[in-house]
Amino acid sequence: MNYDSAAASGTLSQPKAKPRAKKERKPLPVRLAKLKPYLYLLPVLLSIAYWIYRPLIQTFRLSFYEWNLLPTSPEKYVGMRNFENIATLPEMGTALLNTLYYTIGVVPFSLIIPIAIAIMTDSIGKRSKNVYRALIFLPMIMAPVAVSSVWRWIMHPTNGILNQALQSWFGLSEPIRFFTDERWAIWSITFITGWKLIGFSTLIFSAAMTGINREYYEAAKIDRATRWQTIRHITLPLLSPTILFMAMLSTLFASEWSFSYVNVLTQGGPLNSTTNIYYLLWKYGFQTFSVGWSSAAAVLIFIGFGIIALGFMKLTRKLSFFDD
Amino acid sequence: MRTSSFGSKLSVSTVCKHAVLIALGFLAIFPLYWMIVTSLKSDGEIFNSSLLPHHWTLDHYKMAWDSIPMARMLGNSIGVSLLQTVCQVVTSILAAYAFTRWDFRGSSLIYGLIGLTWLVPFQVIMIPNYVVISDFGWRDTLTGLIVPNVVSAFAVMQLYNAFKSFPKALIEAARLDGASDWSILWRTVFPNLKASIASIGILLFITSWNDYFWPLLVTTKMEHSTIQKGLQMFMSSEMNLWGPLMAATTIASLPVLILYLLLQRQIIDSFVKGGLR
Repeated sequence: MNYDSAAASGTLSQPKAKPRAKKERKPLPVRLAKLKPYLYLLPVLLSIAYWIYRPLIQTFRLSFYEWNLLPTSPEKYVGMRNFENIATLPEMGTALLNTLYYTIGVVPFSLIIPIAIAIMTDSIGKRSKNVYRALIFLPMIMAPVAVSSVWRWIMHPTNGILNQALQSWFGLSEPIRFFTDERWAIWSITFITGWKLIGFSTLIFSAAMTGINREYYEAAKIDRATRWQTIRHITLPLLSPTILFMAMLSTLFASEWSFSYVNVLTQGGPLNSTTNIYYLLWKYGFQTFSVGWSSAAAVLIFIGFGIIALGFMKLTRKLSFFDD
Repeated sequence: MRTSSFGSKLSVSTVCKHAVLIALGFLAIFPLYWMIVTSLKSDGEIFNSSLLPHHWTLDHYKMAWDSIPMARMLGNSIGVSLLQTVCQVVTSILAAYAFTRWDFRGSSLIYGLIGLTWLVPFQVIMIPNYVVISDFGWRDTLTGLIVPNVVSAFAVMQLYNAFKSFPKALIEAARLDGASDWSILWRTVFPNLKASIASIGILLFITSWNDYFWPLLVTTKMEHSTIQKGLQMFMSSEMNLWGPLMAATTIASLPVLILYLLLQRQIIDSFVKGGLR
């Protein structure tokens, strides 16, 4: 970043330029002026320190304790036992596997279909483009609870329009119970998560496409490249920073995004088939009140999160020479 | 660029493009349409899948309005979202100004600490925050809903980018005129960046209006909660009253939908720009 280097060089060159004796004689207002940036930053700093970094440290601490969230009951130090316990819980295995399913299940909605559509519809008229943009982006601004409510109605086993349509088109022998059949529930939730996301990702990729220099395509045309070759060797490489960014976003947050739908529509059921790791945290914290377990799982998530993010950032840096 | 589409307007590829986009648009819009249509159908019609109501009625709205404290919850939501947005905008204006106006020790460290907060999922820090809110006696209060969210790291980073593009020469000129740093911010920088600040503000308002998780934790009664939590409670209590449920869902979505109708260009742009960062 440009800014960082400027700041760094500023602090480096300062002591050299000014002799120490002069510094001591600086008038009070000047010294106060040095505090100014920190004053402007104070609200932000205090708030993130108190509402994000303090609880983060406390979560680490609580992961070594046994506690039931009641202010009157004591916290008991148990060392690593919480971690050992959650590692052996079958629920944990299910939740981790489901988290993986959500993460993979969202990929078509966050990457594959949006990239295909963005490439396919690249050169479309400006006016119709704006209309489509407005339409396909709409799910993104809807509240997750409202979205859950509407899809629950649409996907209702007997009265929902989706089952009615499927039945009249394909003549299903019995309606699909989208949220209560354990084979379907997780995919229904994944679909809703993806439905909300797909327009947004498409627009992100379209925006990235418009940033690509048209001369590359002209050059490819002169070289008689086929459409597929152009996509494979020009478009996709040039999109790679955006692809990586969206991949990171959806890997890290797919399960978190689906939390609201899980909580509203299935409560983790049937038979834990929709419980992902975030829902498990919530369950341990506020339903069974096993704060230690919840915190231990939270610590593991946080570390896993950090490793994944770091991996993506490294990958981005490696590929960033395309971004020129 | 393929300009040939001018010549043969109905070429196969053009038709395909539009077909794909129409399909995607339909998928995006239909649930919303179905929500509104269901909410306007009369009781007898709800279960048949006609695409328009024969008898338009507002009965479901009346019923939804009467069976839960809708006005109260809407008021709470509006209050919380507006206050939270104003706080987030003001705090991030101050921070963005500090970062772009001065070179100071630790600036990149502080910026990094703010940026890293997005790596902390809400569920990881919810228990300690919940405990603090309970200790303060802020459960079931609007204070408890707002105070933990007065700063948005996302807004700080977005505004930092906007402020960075502001010409330094204008600030310098104002300084030579004898303006203080404070008045430079509000008289010179702020008026010029109003548009981008406003679009970030709208985005923050929508985010906070749609927030469900924190109200879910902090509030227990409908009267003290926001519309999202209320809608969820209504949903779990009235399993099969689809008409009133769709009416309540429409009401809960209405403010954001109206904003979107009026300002969709800016909203989409700020979301997409935010995503690209």
